[in-house]
Amino acid sequence: MMLANVTTKTILDRWKGMAIAAGGLALMLWFAMAAYRGIDTDFFTRMPEAWRALMNIPEDADFAVLAYAAMYSSWGTLTVASLALSMGSASIAGEERNGTIGLLLANPRSRMAVVLSKTAAMVLVVLAGILALWGSAHLVPALMGVETGGLHLGALMVHMFVASVFFGALALAIGGWTGNRGLASGATAGIMVISFIANGILPLVEGWDRVVKIFPWYYYDGGDPLNRGVDWGHLAVLLAGIVVLVAAAVVGVRRRDLRDRGVAVTMLDRLRANPRTQKIMEKIAGGARVSRVAAKAISDHQTLMIVVGYVMVFMAAFIGPFYLLIDEVIIDLAEQFPEAIMAMVGNADMATIEGWYQTEIFSLTVPVAFMAVTIVMGAKALAGEEADRTMGLLLGNPISRRRVVLEKAAAMTAVIAVVGMLTFLGTMLGSLIGSLGMSVANVAATTLLGTMLALVFGALALAIGAAAGRVKVAAYAASGLALATYIINAYFPLSDTLAPGARWTPFYYYLTSDPLNHGMHWGHLLVLTGLTVVLIAAAVALFDRSDLRQSG
Amino acid sequence: MTSDPAIRTTGLTKHYGHVEALIDLNLEVGPGEVFGFLGPNGAGKTTTIRTILDEIRPTAGTASILGMDTGKHSVEIRRHIGYVPGDLAMYPNLTGKDTLTYFANLRGGVDWEYVAELAERLDADLSKKVGDLSSGNRQKVGLIQAFMNRPEVLIMDEPSSGLDPLMQREFQAMMREVSAEGRTVFLSSHTLSEVQRVADRVGIIRSGRLIALETVADLRAKGMRRIEFQFAEPVDASVFESVPGVRDVDVLRRRVMLSYDGKIDVLLTTVAGRYDVIDITTHEADLEEIFLTYYRDEEEAV
Repeated sequence: MMLANVTTKTILDRWKGMAIAAGGLALMLWFAMAAYRGIDTDFFTRMPEAWRALMNIPEDADFAVLAYAAMYSSWGTLTVASLALSMGSASIAGEERNGTIGLLLANPRSRMAVVLSKTAAMVLVVLAGILALWGSAHLVPALMGVETGGLHLGALMVHMFVASVFFGALALAIGGWTGNRGLASGATAGIMVISFIANGILPLVEGWDRVVKIFPWYYYDGGDPLNRGVDWGHLAVLLAGIVVLVAAAVVGVRRRDLRDRGVAVTMLDRLRANPRTQKIMEKIAGGARVSRVAAKAISDHQTLMIVVGYVMVFMAAFIGPFYLLIDEVIIDLAEQFPEAIMAMVGNADMATIEGWYQTEIFSLTVPVAFMAVTIVMGAKALAGEEADRTMGLLLGNPISRRRVVLEKAAAMTAVIAVVGMLTFLGTMLGSLIGSLGMSVANVAATTLLGTMLALVFGALALAIGAAAGRVKVAAYAASGLALATYIINAYFPLSDTLAPGARWTPFYYYLTSDPLNHGMHWGHLLVLTGLTVVLIAAAVALFDRSDLRQSG
Repeated sequence: MTSDPAIRTTGLTKHYGHVEALIDLNLEVGPGEVFGFLGPNGAGKTTTIRTILDEIRPTAGTASILGMDTGKHSVEIRRHIGYVPGDLAMYPNLTGKDTLTYFANLRGGVDWEYVAELAERLDADLSKKVGDLSSGNRQKVGLIQAFMNRPEVLIMDEPSSGLDPLMQREFQAMMREVSAEGRTVFLSSHTLSEVQRVADRVGIIRSGRLIALETVADLRAKGMRRIEFQFAEPVDASVFESVPGVRDVDVLRRRVMLSYDGKIDVLLTTVAGRYDVIDITTHEADLEEIFLTYYRDEEEAV
C-alpha cells in the first residue's frame, strides 16, 4: 500500500530543514539556560504560590526549567509543527503546483497510496526531529549541571509529536481538497498561531476560559504535560483529529480533478473579465501592475500584504478592549512580579495599557508578522526570480542589476509600511473603542521601530538571496538569525555577565527604550535604518557580482 | 558603429568550478547576418549566450555586442538587443499583454501596432495568463517580446521549441526579414533543418569548444552526398570502405547506403567494375548528416 520510494524521497527532501531546526532549538535551549542560571534566584522562593501555578513551575525544580517552557513547549512546537505543515501542504498540492503530480501518478500507484506515503514521510521526519529534541533536552541540562527535577520531558515530547503531526495533517487535508498549496500552508499556519495565542490569553479572561477548548493548541499544552505527564484524553482528541484529517485528505485527493500547473483565478481576474468593471480593473490589475519592477513586486505580494495587514488591524483593535475584561487578580499578580521576570516580557508592566499592548502585540506578534512579510519579500525578490528562471528575461531589458535590487527593496519597504500603518491604526482604534488613552505619538514611534526592525531582516534576506540565489537559504537564514537574536535579546539581559550581548542584536533597538511609554528613541531608529541601508547596499554589490542561476 | 561586428567574442572562457563549460571561444558575427549556433544538449550554447548577455561572467576572455563590452556596457547593449532565453519561463500570473507591457515599460515604450502585427502573424493569444498557455503559445509571447523593439541584434536560445511546423515557418520568415533589414540574428538550435533554412553561417560547438565555423553554402559545397546503390547480388562492405572519401557504409544484403565527398566517377568506376548496379539514388546531405559527421570525426580523434 505504501510506496517506500515516495516516502524515502520525501524524507530525503526534507530532513535537512528538520535537522537545522532541531540543532537550532538545542542551541537556543543552551542560551536560555545559561541566561537563567545567571539570575539571582533568591526571589524565586518569595514568589506567590498562585504565580508558580500559572507559570507551571514545580517546587522541586531548578529555576532553569523555565527555559524548557519557553524554548521547547512554545518555540519548539511552533517550529516543528511549521515544518510538518509545510510538508503536509507540499504533499499533493505542492506537486500539483510544480506540475510533477502527473508524472508521479503516471506510475501504477493509486492516489491513496501516494497520500499515505507522503503522510508517512511527514510523520517520520517529525518523529526524527522530536527524538533529536528529546536527546538535547537531556544533554543540555546535564552539560550545564542543571537539575531538571520532576519534569516529564518524555510526556512533553509525546504531546509535541502528536500536535505537530496534527497540524501537518490539517495542511495535508486542506491541500488535498483544494490543490492549493499556499492556501493549505497559510490557513494551517493561521489556525496554529491563533490557537497558540488564544491558549495563552483566553484562560486569563473570566467567562472565556472554556472557549479555549475549541483550539487544537489546548489539547497539546492545556494539560501541562511538562509537569503533569501525558494527558491521554487530550492526546486522544488530537489523534482522532489526525485520523479524520488524513482520511479527509485521501477522499479529497481522490474525488477531484488534479490541477495542472495553471494559475489560480483571483478576484481581480474576475473583475477584469466582467464588462462592467473591465475598464477600471484593466488599469489597476493590468497597466499599473506592470508599470515598473517595484509596482509588479508589490502587486505580487498583495495577498500577503492584505492578509497580514488585516490580521494586525483586527488583533490590535481587539486586544485593547480585552484589557478591560482581564481579571483584576492577574493584574495584581503582575504587580508582584520581580524585576527579572519583568525583563522577560520586555519590562512590560501588565497593570498599564501600554504594558498590556506590549506583551500581547508589540513584543512578539509585531516582529513575527512584520518579518513574515519582509523576509518573504526579501528572500523572493532576487532569488525567487532566479529560481523561476525569469531573471534572465528581466535582465534582457535595458535595466541595471542595481536598479532591480533597489526597486525590489522599495517594494518591500512600501508593503511593510502599509502593514505598519494598519497596525498603528488598529492599535489606535482599540484605544478609542476602550477609551484607553494611548499616546498617538508613542504608538506611531513603536510601530515605526517595529517596521524598521522587520526591514533589517528583510534586507538581510535580500542580501543572502542576492549572493546565494536560493529562496530557501535566504528565508531560513534570515528567520534563523531573527529567532536567535530575539532570544539573545530576551534572555541575555537576565544575566549580568551576558547582558551587554543584547546590544549586538537588532531587537535591542526596537523595544528596549520602551517607546510605548517614552516615545521615539531617535538613536535606535537611526541604528535600524543604518543597518537596513548597509544590508541593501550589500545586496546591490553581491547581486552585481554574481552569476545568475539558470534554474530552480 | 556600423563597422563594428554585431557580436564578437575573444578567448571567451567560462568555468563552473572544475567544469569547463566554455573554452576559448572566438567568434565574430557580422551585421545583417543570420548566425546558427549548433550543438547537442550541454555543449555550451546556452553558456555562451548567457555570458555575452552578462547573466554570468566569463572566467577569461571578452565579448562585445555592437562594439560595446558586454560587462561594462551591459545596460546600454540591452537597449539594442532582443532576447529569447532557452527553456523560456515567464510570469505565470500575468497575461501575455501584461508581460509585453511590463517589458515595454522597462524599455521606455514600444510600437503597439507592430506588436499586434507580430501577434497576428504568430497567432498568439495575448489575453490569457501566461501560466495557462501551452508551451508553444507561451513561446510565441517570448518571441514577440524579443522582436517588438525592432532590435539591432536578436539573440535567441532554441527559440522555436514548442512551435508547430506552420509557426516555425512563419518564425523563419520573420528572421529572414530581420536580416534583410540589416539587423542580426544569433540563433542557437539543435533543429538543424531550421538553421539550414535561415542561417548564412553556422558555428558548431561541442564540449565547450567551437569545432567548426563555416557558411552554410560552403558546408554544402563540400559536396558531401548520401548515395544509395541497389545491386543484383549481395555485396561486401570492404569494397566501398576502401574508396577514399567514403564513410558511414551501411550494407543491407543487396542495398548499400554511404556518405561520399569525393569525385563521383571514382566511386562509380570502383563499384561498376565489380558488381551489377541496378539503381543509384543520390541526394545532397543535409546539415544533420554533416553535423553528425563532424561529431563522429571529433570522437574518433579523441
